[in-house]
Amino acid sequence: MSKRKTMAAAAWLLLWALAAPFAAQPALAQQNKPAPPKLKVGDMAPDFDLQYFDGTGLKKVSLSQYRGKKSVVLAFFVFAFTAG
Amino acid sequence: MKNFQHSLQSLEAADTQVVGVSMDSPFANKAFADQIGVTFPLLSDWGGEVTRKYGVYVDQYKAARRVSFLIGKDGKIEEEQVDKDAIDPTKIVLACDRLAHKKQ
Repeated sequence: MSKRKTMAAAAWLLLWALAAPFAAQPALAQQNKPAPPKLKVGDMAPDFDLQYFDGTGLKKVSLSQYRGKKSVVLAFFVFAFTAG
Repeated sequence: MKNFQHSLQSLEAADTQVVGVSMDSPFANKAFADQIGVTFPLLSDWGGEVTRKYGVYVDQYKAARRVSFLIGKDGKIEEEQVDKDAIDPTKIVLACDRLAHKKQ
């Protein structure tokens, strides 16, 4: 192989090595993109039976207790004492 | 949660019960509610069973994802807002109004 060809090959290799991580980036971003929740509009909401503390004691709340009576907003939040 | 508190009157007017849920203890959630002035229940899903059942458990954080569901009187999901969209309850409030009018 001529010296010139070797140089060209090396340059390509270098270029490839530099570009590869960027080429892989979109695929990675796709992976990290959060999936939508598996429950969709129109699905039945699973029943739950949970407790909260009202200052004097633990009180129960279930989804079924509101069936036919009230709509329910069920707002999941990440951690107490964080904004949002 | 604060934003839901601000919209609480219109949500209650639309015949809707608001509850927050996290995987914190009931006592931590009570202290949190008092701190930010939330008057609706903040439920404790200690252990995350309900969080998993609703498919909003994030393994990386060992906690729930920020997702709001509006559930109709028939138990069906009417609206859902995810992550950043779930901070602003406007869409949930609008869907509640829609629902309240539909049922009348």
